[in-house]
Amino acid sequence: MSGEGVTLKRRAKGKRPFYFSDPDVDRLLSMIMALAGELSVTRDRLDTLERVAQEKGLFSQVDIETFALDEEALSDRSARHQTLFKEVTRIISAELEGLDDTDASDYSAVVAQVENDDA
Amino acid sequence: MSATYKEQARHGALPETTHDELARQHFVRSFKEYLVGAIHPGLETAYEKRAKPTFEAEHQREPETMQEVGTVMKQDSHYQAWSSLLRTSQEMMWSSAQIPVERTLPSLVGNARNTPPCGSLTLDPKLMTPAYHTAVDIHCQPGGYHTEYTEDDVAQGAIYDRAVYLYAMGQMGVNNADMGDSTVAWLQSEYPDFVPEKILDMGCAVGHSTLPYASSFPDAEVHAIDVAAPMLRHAHARASAMQLPVHFSQQNAESTHYADNSFDLVVSHILLHETSSAAIKNIIGECYRVLKPGGLMLHVETPPYEGMSPFETFLFDWDSENNNEPFWRKSHQLDLDALASNAGFEKPIIKVMAPSAFQETQRSMTFQGGDFGGGGVWFIYGCQK
Repeated sequence: MSGEGVTLKRRAKGKRPFYFSDPDVDRLLSMIMALAGELSVTRDRLDTLERVAQEKGLFSQVDIETFALDEEALSDRSARHQTLFKEVTRIISAELEGLDDTDASDYSAVVAQVENDDA
Repeated sequence: MSATYKEQARHGALPETTHDELARQHFVRSFKEYLVGAIHPGLETAYEKRAKPTFEAEHQREPETMQEVGTVMKQDSHYQAWSSLLRTSQEMMWSSAQIPVERTLPSLVGNARNTPPCGSLTLDPKLMTPAYHTAVDIHCQPGGYHTEYTEDDVAQGAIYDRAVYLYAMGQMGVNNADMGDSTVAWLQSEYPDFVPEKILDMGCAVGHSTLPYASSFPDAEVHAIDVAAPMLRHAHARASAMQLPVHFSQQNAESTHYADNSFDLVVSHILLHETSSAAIKNIIGECYRVLKPGGLMLHVETPPYEGMSPFETFLFDWDSENNNEPFWRKSHQLDLDALASNAGFEKPIIKVMAPSAFQETQRSMTFQGGDFGGGGVWFIYGCQK
């Protein structure tokens, strides 16, 4: 069939401008917006689920809004939030961890060491 | 921004979308609305409070040209963030429109092949795609208007059809027809006795601006040309799905196959700024040639730079360098009177701002920052032969 297995080009011909003094900021912003997009897609899917559930008589949005979280649920969620924050901010905390890590401050020295330790 | 959220009207030539594919597209529309409504207004604040004082401190005067505004604005963090986000939104728009087309391409091609008889489609595989189409991909659509991935391909047309709706944030109506609708409304108000029998739309893309002429002048023979075959195949399938007969044909507006004195009305919609200095002269000349004496030429565009402040011009010029619109800047600064008179037109040149026919949403009344659909007016340039 015509069109089966076609892969469309994803890059527009023409030099892509960057705006920040460091183009990696533009790249990161692009990735953040893509993530925000996918988050929005997921949230929309949840919204659809709630609406379908209501339409089919399973449960209503009011059931969700008024659902009482018990201690166990609150505790589970709280732990999950902490994990989320830890994952998202990993690069910041990892840098602090490395402050005392004097032995890895000169990476090329390590390379030289493992390359030349047979000398 | 929108008072009511109206989805693009479904027609048989659009791809089926999954829940998440559609949600991804809706995110892009919302993202663009947010940029226009919430981020774009900050540019003026950044200019007045930060960039302009910087320029004034150095030069003891205000910036006088868009280039001078650019020297300070391009260093401004708000402008950098806005530009980066706007460019990203454009890339996400194309990607979100591509995903369902890529997945369903065989059925889209099949549907277009089985288009019920309605109007016609004439392709010319030997037609050269002009350099102003192939040098860069216009509007950053990967592959531009012309790329074909498979036999009888419609991918670029199907992608473009959906992207126009997202780009305009729905503000060109459910059929993306606002440019055609607005021009027809202006025409019927200014020339109430004018009933064209034969109409040509140049650079029609997917025919979204063409169809209002077919529906408003049902007795007219409507022709529409473009250089890109995937656009025309989709356009024909789309017009057929809407049961509006249009004769689509793959031709270059600079030099068409039509005989002298053929048409009562020749129109184009945001075509001129996608061409070149040489091409635009050829196109206006071709309009003159194919028009009957007394016939009308009307080109719908965004307004010329003339009369805008240096700051407004700088922002309006963004697309030139940031959205693959290499002729945008020059085309907005042309001597339109000379262009028409050099082509042979002798009557008064038409240069008017025509109100948008689509008034259901609030208008930002700005053409800046990718909000052309929300401008609330279209610039019409033309002349009677």
